[in-house]
Amino acid sequence: MAELIERLRSICGPEHVSDALADRMCYRRDCGPTPGGVPGYIVRPESTDEIVALVKLANEVGKPLFLWGRATTFVDAGVKEGCIVLALDLMNRILKIDVENQVVITEPGAIWHAVDSELGKLGLEMTVPGGGGMFSCTVGGTVAFNAVPHGISEYGVTGNHVVALEVVLPDGAVIRTGSWANADAPFPIERGANGPDLAGLFIGACGTLGIITQVALRIRRIPECERFLFYAFDTIDQCVDAVAGIQHQNGATFLIGLFGGPPPTGVGGKAFLQIIIRDHEARAAERMQICRAVCESFAGRPQNSEGTRRYWTEHMYSWLRNTPPDAYYGSRPYYCPEVAGFVPTQALKQAIPLVQQYIANNAEFARVGMRVKGMDVYFSPNAAFLWVDTLYPEMDREAWRVGLRVRAEISELLFGRWMSPGGIVAGIAPYIMPRLGPTYELMKRLKAALDPRNILNPGVLGLGLPADSQLLEQSR
Amino acid sequence: MSKPNEPDLRLRSVAQSTYECLRCAFCFDLSWLGPVNLCPSYAWGAFESYGARGRMTIARAILEGELAYDESLIPRVFACTECRACADHCFKYIDTNKVYTALRQDLAARGLIPPQLAAAVDGLAESHNLYGEPHANRQAWLKHRERLDKPARVAFFVGCTPAYVRRTMAGDAYAALEASGLDFTVLGDEWCCGHPFLAAGQRERAAEVMRHNVDTLTRLGVERVVFDCPGCMRAFREDAPEVLGEPLPFAAVHITEELARQVQEGRLRFDVFQSGVVVTYHDPCTLGRGLGVYDAPRAIIEAMPGMRLAEMPRHKRDAYCCGAGSFVRYDYPGLVEKTGVERFREIEATGAQVALTTCPACLTQFQHIHGKLQSRVQVMDLVALVNRIGRWR
Ligand SMILES: Cc1cc2nc3c(=O)[nH]c(=O)nc-3n(C[C@H](O)[C@H](O)[C@H](O)COP(=O)(O)OP(=O)(O)OC[C@H]3O[C@@H](n4cnc5c(N)ncnc54)[C@H](O)[C@@H]3O)c2cc1C
Repeated sequence: MAELIERLRSICGPEHVSDALADRMCYRRDCGPTPGGVPGYIVRPESTDEIVALVKLANEVGKPLFLWGRATTFVDAGVKEGCIVLALDLMNRILKIDVENQVVITEPGAIWHAVDSELGKLGLEMTVPGGGGMFSCTVGGTVAFNAVPHGISEYGVTGNHVVALEVVLPDGAVIRTGSWANADAPFPIERGANGPDLAGLFIGACGTLGIITQVALRIRRIPECERFLFYAFDTIDQCVDAVAGIQHQNGATFLIGLFGGPPPTGVGGKAFLQIIIRDHEARAAERMQICRAVCESFAGRPQNSEGTRRYWTEHMYSWLRNTPPDAYYGSRPYYCPEVAGFVPTQALKQAIPLVQQYIANNAEFARVGMRVKGMDVYFSPNAAFLWVDTLYPEMDREAWRVGLRVRAEISELLFGRWMSPGGIVAGIAPYIMPRLGPTYELMKRLKAALDPRNILNPGVLGLGLPADSQLLEQSR
Repeated sequence: MSKPNEPDLRLRSVAQSTYECLRCAFCFDLSWLGPVNLCPSYAWGAFESYGARGRMTIARAILEGELAYDESLIPRVFACTECRACADHCFKYIDTNKVYTALRQDLAARGLIPPQLAAAVDGLAESHNLYGEPHANRQAWLKHRERLDKPARVAFFVGCTPAYVRRTMAGDAYAALEASGLDFTVLGDEWCCGHPFLAAGQRERAAEVMRHNVDTLTRLGVERVVFDCPGCMRAFREDAPEVLGEPLPFAAVHITEELARQVQEGRLRFDVFQSGVVVTYHDPCTLGRGLGVYDAPRAIIEAMPGMRLAEMPRHKRDAYCCGAGSFVRYDYPGLVEKTGVERFREIEATGAQVALTTCPACLTQFQHIHGKLQSRVQVMDLVALVNRIGRWR
């Protein structure tokens, strides 16, 4: 493929293309458990024009592209052996902070929290703060994955905050969505304009339908104050009922339930609720009152909320369990075959005991030294996003196999009843896509129509697989 | 090309650290400060293999037999200034430098060392200094010889760079210690601290020089060694106990810690340097992240009347490397230049008239970049400034 590398170099410059094995090894896996295929080339485009040229070349030579934001997802990215990885880290500029219209426009490789830090210097913030990977994840990857953010109880998912996108389609055409589609409109202001919600087509699509090259996100003034509460409950049901009460009254910006894994240091109980409120002073006081009243009416016991405050200000999960990060994360060669998704709030009363029972009955857990890191819930405005985080010792091949089996079994258990995952990528696609029936068929038709040569992230979301392939078989 | 599963991999001793990497990528950016780099090697080398997550991946691939040590790994492992920003910001608290050291040692054992660095350390083994100068000239900067090899509880360890190429630094540190009334000794037969050998992956050679220096200091009855060069101090305090397999028989302190203590005790005061002058302070990586000394230099600066300290956005734990660490200048001048310019621009953006630092490598680097950029910001060694305006009681 000497000719291909020359053509890649002529598009992006020789210094931005590598076929060295030592480089290629570094672009094959996300934070998920399986290694992925070793790509053939790594390419770092610097502009939309370069991306267009790369897409056209990929079509011409029939080589798949894989889009690399920061690869911080936890569910197996699905890099294909021999593909061309498009690493988007050079396209990391903040293009415009439009204070007047409350929009920030960035390139896809901009780091999520870096954008917020720049806005912070002006007293502004994005209207959604990103997920726990905010310090390193890219804006493009986070939108393409539709990450579940901190603050989801009030703000909803990441995709809700997208005003418009610029996207390179699999045939190399460049489109803009919403009001930005109008060539005479100078800047993006509204997503729900100019026809169907095309931004929605690319949010959560994990790069299967197009390459996001610019993102316009909503911004606002930083809220006046932040308040914190922390409650312990003796039963899961009490905690879930308290959450439902708060959700019905829009009481909190962020509600996090802890239902498994190690309990918070120094606190007794079976279930725990962390509450974060961001608002102006008067309304924050009212919302505190609502949260207190609801929690205490379900026998919640107030606890010291310093850990909650530190969690929110540092965005380190360990503080949810009153534990400093070094004690929580240090010296652990473990990997997390995470299963996560949305369930109705009330369904937690069955889902949590079901998973707890599965773990208790699974002798493999003890045999290979697996642990339960957490069964934590980020509550959305009207539902629950449950993460079942188990950990297996990564240095042990047998434990790795058990870890993957546990992921498959918990997926079967939960996707078969209530749960629908948020970001899917490749690793858990086999467990969810076949359940989507005609909706999966529509996704496949969209993929085939937009990307007939199947060059963008093939296999991701179970899209772009050979017609006769069985999705589950592919993953094994 | 080495065989992947050969038994003598030093990497095996740090396998656990390698597997601890979550791949979270917190080692790329200082995003809480805005869109700014954390890792100079990644910013220069551009592919992930030049950054911490990539090096951990490479280490793991070697352990698993998917990748073998070869020429292609030399720049990916050695073009690292060992600034420790990745380790200090690691989500999993991995001591990444332990893994890098093992990679360097494995490469060195296979003769895979960057050529200029290899030549420099070969010369070092002969002359006991990195500059190929005669050993006999090591303490030639010293005007009065009465402290040489004099038994004392305190020693001043000079280091190769101050001894041979930044002699005013050696002179300033010596003068400050003398003015403070300290009874101290200087070794007539001081050898290089061993840091360059470790950077080149040559542990046995490092052990030999460390043994020499430790024994010589012990023979003089030394209980506390004062260092001007953070690299030397780290070689003694952090590396020697591990390399020699025994605790260091004396305390190791940096000269800024010594001077800050004198400030705190009211024994050291300052005249006005320039009324209303704005200074900034660059944390040397080895002194800050490597040894945890952030406050002492600042305490000294804050005690200087009429001076205002304007911090750079990247300071203390977040400080960006000057680009000169770990002897990368021998083989990777592009990395040195790019990083130095980026850091100097940050210095200039503070509006400071003077940039202070306290490490021979940083000082040399900034003086070079200062010339290149024709900058209006003056670069000064903090100890030199202390010497100039200090008043001891
Ligand atoms: C410590 C930690 C905590 C985390 N916490 C959370 C959390 O709370 N909530 C959560 O949802 N996730 C969380 N994550 C996972 C992850 O950080 C996020 O989902 C993140 O948003 C992914 O961004 P990325 O840049 O790494 O994307 P990538 O992983 O690089 O990409 C994600 C998907 O989008 C595709 N893609 C990338 N860029 C583009 C583009 N420009 N156009 C089209 N497609 C593209 C990729 O091919 C891939 O399919 C966490 C991760 C870590 C390490």
